[in-house]
Amino acid sequence: MAVSIATFKGGVHPEYFKELTASLAVTPVEPPKQVVIPMLQHIGAPCEPLVKPGDRVLVGEKIGESEAFVSAPVHATVSGEITAVAPHAHPSGQMIEAITIESDGEDSWEQPAAVEFDWEKLSPDEIRRRIREAGIVGLGGAAFPAHVKLAPPEDKPIDTVILNGAECEPYLTADHRLMLEQPQQIVTGLLIMLKILGAGRGIIGIEDNKADALRVMRQEIEGRPELKVASLRTCYPQGAEKMLIEVTAGRTVPAGGLPMDVGVVNHNVGTALAIARAVTEGRPLVERVVTVTGGGVARPANLLVRIGTRVGDLLELCGGMKEDTGKLIIGGPMMGLSQPHPDIPVVKGTSGITVLSDEEFELEEATACIKCAKCVDSCPVNLLPLFLAEAAEHGLIERAEKYRAADCIECGCCSYICPARRPLTQWIRLAKAEVLKRRRQR
Amino acid sequence: MADTQFSVTTSPHLRTTVTVSSAMRDVLYALAPITLVSIYWFKFNAVFLIAVCLIVAMLTELLFRKAMNKPATLKDGSALVTGLLVALCSGGCSAWWVGALATFIAVGIAKELMGGLGWNRFNPAAFGRISVFLLTPFFYWLGLAFSPLQASFGGLDVITSATPLALLKQGTALPDLGSLFLSFPGGALGETSALALLIGGAYLLYKEHIRWHIPVSIVAGVFVMALLFGDHSTTPFYLTPFYHIFSGGVLLGALFMATDWVTSPITPRGRVIFGLAIGILLMIFRLALGPTEGTCFSILIMNAFVPLIDRLTRQRKFGEAPARPAPVAVKPSLEKSS
Repeated sequence: MAVSIATFKGGVHPEYFKELTASLAVTPVEPPKQVVIPMLQHIGAPCEPLVKPGDRVLVGEKIGESEAFVSAPVHATVSGEITAVAPHAHPSGQMIEAITIESDGEDSWEQPAAVEFDWEKLSPDEIRRRIREAGIVGLGGAAFPAHVKLAPPEDKPIDTVILNGAECEPYLTADHRLMLEQPQQIVTGLLIMLKILGAGRGIIGIEDNKADALRVMRQEIEGRPELKVASLRTCYPQGAEKMLIEVTAGRTVPAGGLPMDVGVVNHNVGTALAIARAVTEGRPLVERVVTVTGGGVARPANLLVRIGTRVGDLLELCGGMKEDTGKLIIGGPMMGLSQPHPDIPVVKGTSGITVLSDEEFELEEATACIKCAKCVDSCPVNLLPLFLAEAAEHGLIERAEKYRAADCIECGCCSYICPARRPLTQWIRLAKAEVLKRRRQR
Repeated sequence: MADTQFSVTTSPHLRTTVTVSSAMRDVLYALAPITLVSIYWFKFNAVFLIAVCLIVAMLTELLFRKAMNKPATLKDGSALVTGLLVALCSGGCSAWWVGALATFIAVGIAKELMGGLGWNRFNPAAFGRISVFLLTPFFYWLGLAFSPLQASFGGLDVITSATPLALLKQGTALPDLGSLFLSFPGGALGETSALALLIGGAYLLYKEHIRWHIPVSIVAGVFVMALLFGDHSTTPFYLTPFYHIFSGGVLLGALFMATDWVTSPITPRGRVIFGLAIGILLMIFRLALGPTEGTCFSILIMNAFVPLIDRLTRQRKFGEAPARPAPVAVKPSLEKSS
């Protein structure tokens, strides 16, 4: 295999633990008896419920919608009866309005409204409409509405679409399995995006610890000179948007800017797959692949699950949690959100459920900063985490702003690498939120 | 179900295995080769001096932290590193109490009184070593004052015995470069083998505890200064710099003392400035002032400049350079073909 030279400055090399699930094919899970579907599963405006308790719904029926541009509708993921519309615990830690559906066990689907499924015959506007109607958001975890990224303003021409198959987050293998099992759909999704944007090239970036995925995707793009598979050195956070664009397209997103400022649109491979299915099959986003993994779970797996499935039910399905489970994380261990309990639903952005045993994480007390500057060396966006965190710790928000708190991508490298175990990312995240808040007020 | 409790913290949930203690342990490992070489040459003297410095270092830290009502931090290992470095900076024939006093000053004053590990502005070992060096006249006075009492303080060998550099200055026969590199018993314990120091330094580089910038720029500074201003009368022109690099405290300082996390700059550019300045300063000391302690003095002086260097070398923000205009043509592929 080719030696990948492509990487960025900084980053860290955590143990990946992907062998727990990397060789396990995606297993579809039976639709659950009950799903809880939050009205907010994306960045942007929350949806308004379109149904009320007692209503009957089919799979794929729209049950939540918003007028806002930056939003994405939500759909029923089982057929049955609405039993509740009420706030429910959400992976974000908040209580968010959600619709509970009791399944009738029939799994009856709503018939797609569209008639033309040959995407090459569709207009860009029609494709964008279908993507929005299907409720597709970034499936890598950020959950930004997909149609918004695919509708850049006139003055920002896009010439490159980059698919993120880096999956640099330890433990997770959902994207890896998708690339192995459904490469054709992923490429179709990429071609659809190129068409909408009028872009001339597509790049699929994959870390070199996934040699099989690199091979499969390369075979898949053969004969398409506009597409390219880039082998990236395995290094966290290789899949972070700005890093990926720098490494694969050789362009630097300006500080405070967006990928479209350098002519790039960036999507996760799972999103490409969802787009392909929405456009060519009229299928809304009602299910996704979730890696259930970690030393705290009896039988790790890659599962195809309906959105709204309870995390606790999925864990039961995987043999339950072990006695010494210390942490339940939605997402991977570097950027995921730890949860107090498993009574939360899988949402569109849930790429994994990582259950760490007590041995796999540590809660050590922080000691004084020894200025080793390992955080400086590892910061992919050239911040000085030690000084930034110090300012944040003392509530010096203006100084934190001077140290560019707003540019932090919250990758977690600084906290990971700190030998004094200082919670740098946590302090910087707080300062960043405060800085952004003040900027909005100005 | 909802009452099940797991620990909830913010991400990241993984941590590297490297801690302050493990890093300090690695520094001790890295100092093992030079320690063994020094014991080979100075036998019991070296063992005794090193043992005294290590014990005094630990006791001093315990004492100061106890007195200041702070939790004990012995397990971070930094006292041991300081103690060992003080011993290695001391001459092979130094009296034990000179090492003990230097260690006490290093750990007690330069580190603990400054707030403990992380808060000290000056390299503790260098600070301790230079303090006893500057106190030398006082010791002579003490010796004279107490001579009627027949009290013996042992050899007042604060200044290290004739180093190859001193020999160079006196015009005495020099060891050849090869033995200087491999092992030569001149000067301080930690100056007995360039090779042993390089092995230890390579280990720290491999472990990523130090970066190349500081050692390389110090050596580069010494090299250039020696080439330009060195005394080429007794050695061939092109060899003079190597005598300077392999003798005295240059390598010990460059690899183990100037690279001290707490007291060195945090950015790569800052490290290069810091290193070059130390290299140049120490050559000024050597060539213009005297043959000993130039390294420790230079390190301490530059320690004082670290906050300024840090401020002046703040890294450019990611994407600060004006964004390249989006090219229309497809750029050549970045990767190699498989």
